[in-house]
Amino acid sequence: MVNAHTGNLAPASAERACADESPLAQIEFRKVTKMYGGVVALRDFSLTVRKGEFLTILGPSGSGKTTALMILAGFEAPSSGDVLIAQNSVAAVPSFRRDQGIVFQSYALFPHMTVRQNLEFPLEMRGMKASDRLAKVDRMLERVHLKDFGLRMPSQLSGGQQQRVALARALIADSPILLLDEPLGALDRNLREQMQSEIKQLHREFGKTTICVTHDQEEALTLSDRIVVMRAGRIEQVDTPEALYDRPTSRFVANFLGEANILSQVGFEGGAPAGKIAMIRPERIAISSLASRPVDAENRQSVTGHVEEMTYAGPLRKYHVRVRDEVLVVREHVAAGQPVFQPGDQIQLSWLRSDIRLLAE
Amino acid sequence: MDILRNVSRNPLGLTVPALTILIAVFGIPTIFFFFASLNAPEYSLSNYEAFLSRGANVRILFQTIEISVIATLLCLAIGYPTAYLITAAPKRARVALTVLVFLPWLTSGLVRTYAWIVLLGDNGLINRTLIDLGLISSPLPLIYNRLAVYIGMVHIMLPVMILPLLSVMQGIDKSLVAAARSMGARPFTAFWRVFLPLSLPGVRSGTVLVFVICLGFYITPQALGGLRDVMLSTFIANQIETSFSIGVIAAAAFMLLAIAAIVLSVLGLDMSGERVRPDRFHEEHWARRVFRSSIVTRGMKAVADKFRAARWTRQLYQRTGAGNSSALAGSVFLALVMTFLLLPGMLDVVMSFSGGAYLEFPPSTLSLQWYRSFLGDPSWTGALWTSVQVGLIVAALSTIVGTLAAYGLSRTTPRIRSSFTMCLMAPITFPAIVVGVAIYFGMAKIGLVGTVSGIVLTQSVGATAYAVVIVSATLATFDRRLERAALSMQASPIQTLVRVTMPLIRPGIIGGALFAFIHSFDEVVQTSLVSGFAIRTLPLKMWENMRNELDPTIAAIGSLLTLLPILWLVALYVTWWRVRPKVQAMAQ
Repeated sequence: MVNAHTGNLAPASAERACADESPLAQIEFRKVTKMYGGVVALRDFSLTVRKGEFLTILGPSGSGKTTALMILAGFEAPSSGDVLIAQNSVAAVPSFRRDQGIVFQSYALFPHMTVRQNLEFPLEMRGMKASDRLAKVDRMLERVHLKDFGLRMPSQLSGGQQQRVALARALIADSPILLLDEPLGALDRNLREQMQSEIKQLHREFGKTTICVTHDQEEALTLSDRIVVMRAGRIEQVDTPEALYDRPTSRFVANFLGEANILSQVGFEGGAPAGKIAMIRPERIAISSLASRPVDAENRQSVTGHVEEMTYAGPLRKYHVRVRDEVLVVREHVAAGQPVFQPGDQIQLSWLRSDIRLLAE
Repeated sequence: MDILRNVSRNPLGLTVPALTILIAVFGIPTIFFFFASLNAPEYSLSNYEAFLSRGANVRILFQTIEISVIATLLCLAIGYPTAYLITAAPKRARVALTVLVFLPWLTSGLVRTYAWIVLLGDNGLINRTLIDLGLISSPLPLIYNRLAVYIGMVHIMLPVMILPLLSVMQGIDKSLVAAARSMGARPFTAFWRVFLPLSLPGVRSGTVLVFVICLGFYITPQALGGLRDVMLSTFIANQIETSFSIGVIAAAAFMLLAIAAIVLSVLGLDMSGERVRPDRFHEEHWARRVFRSSIVTRGMKAVADKFRAARWTRQLYQRTGAGNSSALAGSVFLALVMTFLLLPGMLDVVMSFSGGAYLEFPPSTLSLQWYRSFLGDPSWTGALWTSVQVGLIVAALSTIVGTLAAYGLSRTTPRIRSSFTMCLMAPITFPAIVVGVAIYFGMAKIGLVGTVSGIVLTQSVGATAYAVVIVSATLATFDRRLERAALSMQASPIQTLVRVTMPLIRPGIIGGALFAFIHSFDEVVQTSLVSGFAIRTLPLKMWENMRNELDPTIAAIGSLLTLLPILWLVALYVTWWRVRPKVQAMAQ
């Protein structure tokens, strides 16, 4: 299942993001709605996932992202709408006939089977001969660096190792689709970064169409070709990570991915159009002393204020600056010769007019 | 396959077999029985009036409540400190002590009652020893009085009190008590304000369970009590044997049931293994308020405040403030309780090897004569064989329907689950004699009294309840994502069941089957009614012999039945506790 996109993990270009009707479409949600009793978990969810793509569904808990995944996996039936895999409706296909590899939240490794038996299970269910299974499991164990752990029980593994077994088990049967449900949620920070690059590598290598569900924005930004931001059962925005961060269309997306300064009184000269608000990212704001005059001044807008708080965070310095009644967050990379401001200092903030984004309220 | 898919859509379908048996055997007869008590079709309270108009009956009713209340309080007074001390013990001791409490619980109640007859009787061990030592000339009246009834009942019910207490106490986070101490609470205050309130759910379950079961006690008061120590169950049983006036029997049974129902509904009973609901917890508040406002406490507080803050750090890291003497007192107390629980059974085992014409301790000569008279007598071996057969059929039937029901219930909402579980457990939470007469009444209607099928059905309703409880407890810790994982790997629902679900809940199923078998193998009250004296199971034959004479053959059977639980425990250990840690480690 190696495909055209192998090796191409650069953020998809804008035209790719628009080409939803391409024949490469592998998974398609058509106006899927899911109700639990009277509660709407998912409303008119429409989405196309391309072959080989790494798509992340991102949202706070209760936003419907897991529901979407469970419907795709066949564990929940949609109340209305349809799901298509490779152009065929799967509404009538039970979960065990859908060819998908799933990594479950907290892994769901079978506690009564060894690592090897866990990996063999999907092959066995597909009727593969024991001798073929043996070779395949050996190869996969080697691939995930667990060659010597085959005879251990899952409980005898560390969290990271369990995670790798879960990934291996989802990949081993060569299903074209891989579903990840909060795959890194149970790991600590260091391990999480390590596993992120491991997942990325596996995706590059196996080229599976991957759908990942998470509430962790960093995970979403690093791993995905495209991100779907969900809110209260609806899709808020779908785009590449870069576009999503750079050009959010709503206040919710702007706040959910990264930090956002909302310029309600200060900034936008002439005021924002009705129903829109102006936003600027903290790293797009330059901070300087009152005396200095920024270069490129005609394209820039500047305001004065005073520093309320300065936090030093390794490569970054973070200022909270009060401008009139508002507090703006400014993030600056630490560099040599840079002036450092202290709380109480009167300073000047400036930004390019083109860096301001207009968002839906 | 379609059936399986329907099941996943409507899991309650799986409870149908269990509910059918319950309703047919117990539910419908109970309703008819209730109408009979109301003198249907005329509908009057005349049966109740007839029952209550006789002073003797009213006395029996109050006596039943009185005996049950006192036995329950005795169990609580002994059981709470025992459970507390076991919880505080080091891990190895804790496991050993828990097993020792568990052991008598698995031993036949009949055998344990018999052991007390042997100990307390006029020719029993204690009196004989005292006479032989020349301390007394005539036997002390140890048996056939109220005291003996209490001893026997507490002995049987104590494990039932201790086990729920233990399960709740072991779930209490120890750091909560440490936290209270760090905030300046003295050990007793920390216990009173933190540990005790948190252990109240266990107190509630234990107390309700013990009280309701006590209400239906029949064997013990009959065997150990005097003529005046009659409980309502004895009255009902006598009525059935002598007059058989359904109306009066039904009225008596429903009054007993009403008492049980009131206690159950006021205090509630949560055996589903789920956490206490917060709203239930508030009911306990008044008790704490009463305590908190008491003047004594305030006075003590004022004095103690000055010293407390300075001392807590030191005390926090010392095991107990009072030191060795309280630890010693605790050990002595535990030793006494364990002796009380285990000694009768052990003496019975030793004495069963007596060579003399009667049971003696220590045996002057050793012989297997009583075992020979047990195994050589066809009436005994026949009864044993009947019991084994019935037990196996009951265990198989109730494990199957119980497991199906538990599996179905694990897939419904908590509210439906708890109400269905309550229904299925009615046969073991209602007083045994009430369940017995209702079933007997039904069986008589369809002509199954005195048949093996009748006995199997009767015992199955209780045995199913045990199977449901135990399998449910296992399913509560079962992670359903494992099933989804299997399905996602193209395992069919049947393969998922066989390869993933069954292996993981097998310990629960085996445990359920074991308890179902034990229930069937020990049941006397209901079986004796339904058997119609035509069929003798082993406990029935023992009960018959116990009422007539002090037959030492029973000691031999008792000793075999006492050693049987050890076998059960080994079986349980092998299947249960060996698998547990693995699953638990995975859950983390």
